[in-house]
Amino acid sequence: MSSNHLFIDPDSPTPTDPPGTGVRGLWQDESPQQKGTHVRFEVNRDVFSEAVSFAVKLLPQRTTLPILGGVLIEAGDDSVTLSAFDYESSARTTIGAAVGEPGRALVSGRLLADIASRLPAAPVEFSVDGGRVSIRCGAGRFTLLPMPVEEYPALPELAAAGGLVPGELLADAIGQVVVAASRDDVTPVITGVQLEVGENSLSLVATDRYRVAIRDIPWDSADSGIVEATALVPARVLAEIGKTFAHAKTVRIAIAEGGDRELIAFSAEDKAVTSLLIKGNYPPVKRLFPQSVEDYAVLSTSDLVDAVRRVSLVLEREAALRFSFSPDGLTLEAAGGEQAQASESIDAVLTGEETVVSLKPQFLIDALGGVHSEFVRLGFTRTDNPNKPGPVLITAQTSGDTGPSSFRYLLQPNLLLR
Amino acid sequence: MDYAGRLSAHLPLATRLLVLKADGSVLVHSDSLSYKPLNWMSPPCALVEMEPDEEQSAAGVTVVWRIDQAKTADLLVISIHEVLHDSSHELGADPGLRKDGVEADLQRLLAEQVELLGEGTRLVRREYPTAIGPVDLLVTDAEGRHVAVEVKRRGGIDGVEQLTRYLELLGRDPRLAPVRGVFAAQEIAPQARTLAEDRGIVCLLLDYDAMRGLDERPDRLF
Repeated sequence: MSSNHLFIDPDSPTPTDPPGTGVRGLWQDESPQQKGTHVRFEVNRDVFSEAVSFAVKLLPQRTTLPILGGVLIEAGDDSVTLSAFDYESSARTTIGAAVGEPGRALVSGRLLADIASRLPAAPVEFSVDGGRVSIRCGAGRFTLLPMPVEEYPALPELAAAGGLVPGELLADAIGQVVVAASRDDVTPVITGVQLEVGENSLSLVATDRYRVAIRDIPWDSADSGIVEATALVPARVLAEIGKTFAHAKTVRIAIAEGGDRELIAFSAEDKAVTSLLIKGNYPPVKRLFPQSVEDYAVLSTSDLVDAVRRVSLVLEREAALRFSFSPDGLTLEAAGGEQAQASESIDAVLTGEETVVSLKPQFLIDALGGVHSEFVRLGFTRTDNPNKPGPVLITAQTSGDTGPSSFRYLLQPNLLLR
Repeated sequence: MDYAGRLSAHLPLATRLLVLKADGSVLVHSDSLSYKPLNWMSPPCALVEMEPDEEQSAAGVTVVWRIDQAKTADLLVISIHEVLHDSSHELGADPGLRKDGVEADLQRLLAEQVELLGEGTRLVRREYPTAIGPVDLLVTDAEGRHVAVEVKRRGGIDGVEQLTRYLELLGRDPRLAPVRGVFAAQEIAPQARTLAEDRGIVCLLLDYDAMRGLDERPDRLF
């Protein structure tokens, strides 16, 4: 697998060409732009704290450009916008505030978030005066040095048009698939989650080559006209997006394709998150799924989770559990080397042939956490290759009236060792 | 066993493995704790076998080895109570240690698979010479611009510094400038990555197994 996003685009801002590395010191008070800055607003404490903590969530932990560790605060007529941006992803939120004096300021994000989360229950007064940021709340007062706001990079523009998805379903789907995304930088393409817009549906796909997780949710192209598109979004950013928008009624998704910086934007109510897309061709993993599965077992999801957790206690790291399906049910066996062994039998309804598979317990637990259903179906496929067992297809087992779930999880078993 | 010289040490009576090598060195091993010898005398040194004195004999010692270092005053005295096993083997010539996944192999594979550096990349040459030593690979990208590649097994900060020096020298050559850098390694330390990216050097992780065509694994879907 090759990485196609290796070379930095010469026209884009690169770390070699950072803002704020000019001769002027970053922290000097006498910066002319700084001196004239006056910002003043008053805001509800909880609203402020929530907005700051949202904005800093995607901030880089350690950056070589200190200015990117800042939160940009822009006071407008009767609202304040807080933004963070690290050239990869951006977060922006707008909150209502009583603005005395509009203007812009840049302050350390982590420090501001720590302060905001500890403020007493009283209105927050934020002001910039004489090169100092001051935050007053109740009897408390903080004074911070701002960073030079004029050196902060311009945030990516949000496209007005986008398709719509329900926030709760989006959060659900992200939670289900993101666990399967690779964390290995050797293969950058699969560290992302592939979003595929099809007719009235948005499909989320993630894989680390050991398993593939897919979930489809409804897509309303709305005014965007996006009826067919793909976007490869970094899994880490998407995981935060899922948490951020879990309670939003609808989330607007805009994909800016073409141009040298491909971008995806998620927005709902007063919040927006953008991320650069990972470049490269996503492997055609959908075709790994079997057309039909004749042999399968149906089990209680929670019984299986409990049994797997128990039996795998004796396993060495990375070791697999042996699952034997027969008409009598399922027997799980763990061989933890010389030290310990464990086994357990649970009820399972088997259709088709008796099957023995060897699965990594965490990979199975990830799947079972995603089925969101009382019963789970494990489908067994056959292969002609004696050195590679057929993959196991894990889906929710639903009764007729709830309709089929679109979550599918394909897991490659290990070779049976005995 | 008693050691005297630059440091003093004592190993109490126990069952031990003593290795006398053809180069004259003497090594004392135990069954656990360390894969290295617990004590040793490096060559050149002289081994003298001595009869135990009366006090030693009374303590059960059957033979005493005294090993003198020829260059220093270091002295190793081994009091042997009982010999459980004694054998001698000729090992012959050592073909030398060969590490799998050495940088040379990575460099050769990357030279053969330059497209890993990006579509349209072409190899200029391996071991491109500079005044301070050869840079691993010099390639051109899809737009024909020069890129210097430093290949490491484990990428650390020192590797980034090395590449930075090459880039500075190569960048002075008007036929090559501007030259960008790629730091390619099987693994890259987080600090090295941060430093590299801060200097505009792109980091590339190399999948050695995949490059060798050995990544067909039965526990993977693809």
